[in-house]
Amino acid sequence: MLKFGLTPVFLSNDLELLSRLKYYLSRQTGREVQLVQRRTYEEITALLLSGQLTAAWICGYPLVQYREKLALVAVPLWREQPLYSSYLIVPVGREAAGIDNLRGDLHAFSDPNSNSGFLVTAALLAERGLKPEGFFRDTIFTYGHRNVVRAVASGLAQSGSVDGYVWEVMASLEPELTTRTKVIRKSELLGFPPVACLAAQANSMDVELVRKALLSMADDPEGLAILSLLKLDGFAEEPQSLYDPIAAKMQLIRNLSP
Amino acid sequence: MNGKAPELARPSWSFAIKVPVVVVLLMVAISTVVTVRALSRLEASQQKNLEVLSSAYLDGLSASIGPAVEREDVWEVFDALDRSRERYKGLNVQWVTVTNADNQTIASSMPTTFPPLEPMATDTLALFSSEKDVELNDDKAEARMTRPLLYQDQVIGHIYALADISGLVAERTAVFRELVLANVLLTLFLVVFGALFVRRMLEPVGVLSRYFAQGREGSMTPIPSELANRQSREFHDLFDRYNLMATAVNEREQLAAELAEEEKLASVGRLASGMAHEINNPLGGMFNALDSLRRYGAREEVRATSIRLLEHGLSGIRDLVRSTLTSYRADQRPRDLTPTDLDDLRLLVKPEARQKRLRLSWQIEFVDPVHVPAVPVRDAILNLLLNACHACREEGQVGFMARAEEGHLIAEVSDTGEGLPQNVKEYLERDGAGAAPMDRRSGLGLWIVKRHCDELGASLRVVSAGLSGTTLRMLIPLRSDFEDAA
Repeated sequence: MLKFGLTPVFLSNDLELLSRLKYYLSRQTGREVQLVQRRTYEEITALLLSGQLTAAWICGYPLVQYREKLALVAVPLWREQPLYSSYLIVPVGREAAGIDNLRGDLHAFSDPNSNSGFLVTAALLAERGLKPEGFFRDTIFTYGHRNVVRAVASGLAQSGSVDGYVWEVMASLEPELTTRTKVIRKSELLGFPPVACLAAQANSMDVELVRKALLSMADDPEGLAILSLLKLDGFAEEPQSLYDPIAAKMQLIRNLSP
Repeated sequence: MNGKAPELARPSWSFAIKVPVVVVLLMVAISTVVTVRALSRLEASQQKNLEVLSSAYLDGLSASIGPAVEREDVWEVFDALDRSRERYKGLNVQWVTVTNADNQTIASSMPTTFPPLEPMATDTLALFSSEKDVELNDDKAEARMTRPLLYQDQVIGHIYALADISGLVAERTAVFRELVLANVLLTLFLVVFGALFVRRMLEPVGVLSRYFAQGREGSMTPIPSELANRQSREFHDLFDRYNLMATAVNEREQLAAELAEEEKLASVGRLASGMAHEINNPLGGMFNALDSLRRYGAREEVRATSIRLLEHGLSGIRDLVRSTLTSYRADQRPRDLTPTDLDDLRLLVKPEARQKRLRLSWQIEFVDPVHVPAVPVRDAILNLLLNACHACREEGQVGFMARAEEGHLIAEVSDTGEGLPQNVKEYLERDGAGAAPMDRRSGLGLWIVKRHCDELGASLRVVSAGLSGTTLRMLIPLRSDFEDAA
């Protein structure tokens, strides 16, 4: 049985998407497939590292955190690129030009192991020699990029760090939420959250079946339906170096830590 | 319908108004009680439902946010509150805020009003009762809910929520309006129905009143049978009884008229007999005088005496005839009463008095004509005097006195008879008794007197009535110039 891990990188726990993905992977690999979902990146990463998952859709940050132990299986293509960026958002009526205006905010992060939902903003502050807990009045983790948008749109948080891909897709699917927020900063393009496996199993038959299934998704009608739901263009094989900028950000905040 | 009919119809109108008014008052009273009762029941039911719903809301929320409150997890609490909004849509929660044990906000459904991690405003906290989970405020159309959050018997936080109950208040208002509208329409219907029903019910009474009113004008008219046949059994019987009564009254009227005619003829007979007697008395003397003239007419003293006797006798006859003509001339116009008119009565009564050897005492205390109609007054007094003569025993005395004072003519007739029976006294003194004779036995003289009294507006009083005799006093008001003109 193939066990495929999923993180809250998805827009929501869409049952239709999950059932289609499970069906597609089963059909493509010829194996029984189990989708494993957890609330946090940390839990999925832990399952992956402990060998309980064949592969998992994680974030670039955990990938670089465990770059010796983890290997890339495939990277999603969004707008024809394996790249995305992190957005800093505020409520729509608020006057703010950049992160410097967000001092003293209650700031919403997605997940402490999320690149776009935490690391990018923490690194931005680290560049100024600051840490989130000192710069912001308080921070909350919503464990979901959509939740960051909800927190900022409702006024619960005065600002938030969110996955740019998620925000853009939400802008077309749930404009009533995103129109209540305003993007004040878009980060540079960074490696899209990848599907990874244990490095030791990178060449195993199971991983290979999963890779093939993902890479051929754009060529299959069922696969295209899944990509359409995800607003993605397909999956591609990318070098590990795609995630070097993320590794650099990680290093930046590690260097700042006492 | 004559001019007096509306006055008689008034009772039926007043009933036609009274009944609807009573219906209105009853309906208003009943509808007020029903409305108040219905609204209080509705309010109690709404409050109970709201309490149940609020309780379920607070229970559900407590269970879902308990662990997050313990960790003071802002997002988890907010997420739970946000999701509950859809689940408890029926409650129409305006805002809900969750605090820690120190009433510092963890998260609120209105985070801009109640920012996370800041103390709740004391004036907001003061709105919530510490004793009741749910408190309704009808004036502001809101329900305030509060619930402490317990973990291992320790208070770890509170839920404060405000629900908009304007929908419930609006429902009550709508029910109130519907009740009032329904009651007003029902009342209007009952008023109209009541008015028509009572009017229809009292229609026979109106008919009866109309026929009675016609009866006052003269003889009574029976109600036609086709009209009576249209009525209910009760009114049909009543109409039958009315018809029987009308027939009896009409018969009595006719009888009275016949009696009056008889009495008139009897009076004329008596009067003619008296007059014959009066004329006959001097006739003997006059024939003697003629005989003396025939025999000793050559003698101067006999001729002078005989002529004087003849002249005296003829004068008496002339006075008697003139007085009779004055009393009974048919084409007389109303004229004022003179003392002579009353003096003449003495001549008319004299034959009656002479038969019983009665003494007549005559006293007239006015000189100028008095402003009362001469003919009916003379007739009334003549009847009283004749009656007094009848009442006296032989050699009794009949007195007459007349004087004018303070707008009245006062005429008193007295006799030395045995006095008046009580029923006669009452009859004479009762106003309007001239409408009918007292009874057949008592004769019609007194009835004629009463009829004249009614016409003249005069009153009759029995001044004294005992064994020593009776004195009747007639008080006749003097006519005004206005009446003369009329």
